[in-house]
Amino acid sequence: MIQKKVCMVGVFGTGKTSLVQRFIHSRFSEKYHSTVGVKIDRKAMTVAGQEVNLVLWDLAGRDEHQDISGSYLRGAHAAFFVVDGTRRETLTQLPDLRRIVREHAGDVPAVVALNKADLVDQWALTHDDEALLRADGVHVLRTSAKAGENVEAAFTHLGWAVLAAREGSA
Amino acid sequence: MSDVAPVIDAFGLTHVGAVRPKNEDQFVIAGVRKQVDVKATSVEALGSSEKLRGPEAHLFVVADGVGGHAGGERASGFAVQALAEYLGTAAGCFQRFDTDAEHDFLEALEQAVHRAHEALVRESAGRQGGPATTLTMVTLVWPRAYLVHVGDTRAYVLHGGRLRQLTRDQTMAEFLVDAGGLTEEQAKTSRTKDMLISALGGSSMAPNVGLIDLEPGDTLMLCSDGLTKHVDDREIHRLLALPAGAESRCRQLVDASLAGGGSDNITVVVAQMGAP
Repeated sequence: MIQKKVCMVGVFGTGKTSLVQRFIHSRFSEKYHSTVGVKIDRKAMTVAGQEVNLVLWDLAGRDEHQDISGSYLRGAHAAFFVVDGTRRETLTQLPDLRRIVREHAGDVPAVVALNKADLVDQWALTHDDEALLRADGVHVLRTSAKAGENVEAAFTHLGWAVLAAREGSA
Repeated sequence: MSDVAPVIDAFGLTHVGAVRPKNEDQFVIAGVRKQVDVKATSVEALGSSEKLRGPEAHLFVVADGVGGHAGGERASGFAVQALAEYLGTAAGCFQRFDTDAEHDFLEALEQAVHRAHEALVRESAGRQGGPATTLTMVTLVWPRAYLVHVGDTRAYVLHGGRLRQLTRDQTMAEFLVDAGGLTEEQAKTSRTKDMLISALGGSSMAPNVGLIDLEPGDTLMLCSDGLTKHVDDREIHRLLALPAGAESRCRQLVDASLAGGGSDNITVVVAQMGAP
């Protein structure tokens, strides 16, 4: 089976682990656990008739003590960026995070999840923010790990993208 | 980050505790290395060539035979032996990893855990309460530490003055906290805090897999719940941060648990990453 490494990247507390848990186990926890190092999960999916095994590397989020480690990004086939839609500063760090991924993994397929879409009253991003990302060629989705909104769609998009990239390079 | 492997000072200690009649905990610290062993040669340089030795992998395992189950000691011993033997047969694979090889290696580690689980399940032949064990296993191929974890034995890392828990207990109490059914405070005294929802040989077994890159100066600590029942994270941090060798730190941690009551078997493995 084709195996593809997908790195979950973002600032701490944006919901990377929750998105993986929702995708893999269809569950959500209100309790926050910060990730230390990398947590690894696998999910097999069928995309365009092809079996692909996504190996999800859930990286510890960037905080004041630690940056994203390039050594974890090496060899990644795709990046899943997560922004907390209720914390604008997690969006402003996105360009730098994308630069780090490009530096260590190359120009790999990516998706940007604007997460916590269920927290409508606290939403801190504008339509212009999203439009700017899309204009930059980024595949953007509003997601909610809590409600399950667009979680499957985001990972499925990456599955498509890594297979397309593979065929493109073949 | 340094690619030069540091000297690793590792020590393990297990103690029956102050209450239990026997010790069902097990641990192992092992080094695994692929190397050409020159018996005789006319080439002088070959006798001392470091290039004949592959990178060394270090294995650290703690397992806790599940209390109340028949043969807990046997279960934990079986699991540790099976995994050590697996690494013995896989000794050739500890090279610099590319992505696929790394995933294959992780998958193989997980499969080794599944095989040990299935063997224990077969042994209990469907009996309720057959032999079972928790397991925390770290395979270190410098600088990367690969972690496979089942149950409520734990792994911690002390890095840059911060103590971080690498594992999350697979207990009913933790599950209920996640589900919003218990607060963390309630979980500490809940009867469900010792109820495992995942164990080798148990009715359910779902290993958590992860990794972390270590640095010189870091300290890795694995332990059974006999330590964490009596010594909280703050005290673990204080004791691990003291300027001492791995053996001394192990003894201080075990002593602290005994002083706190020693209600369970206590096992501690400490590995300190020295200077390159």
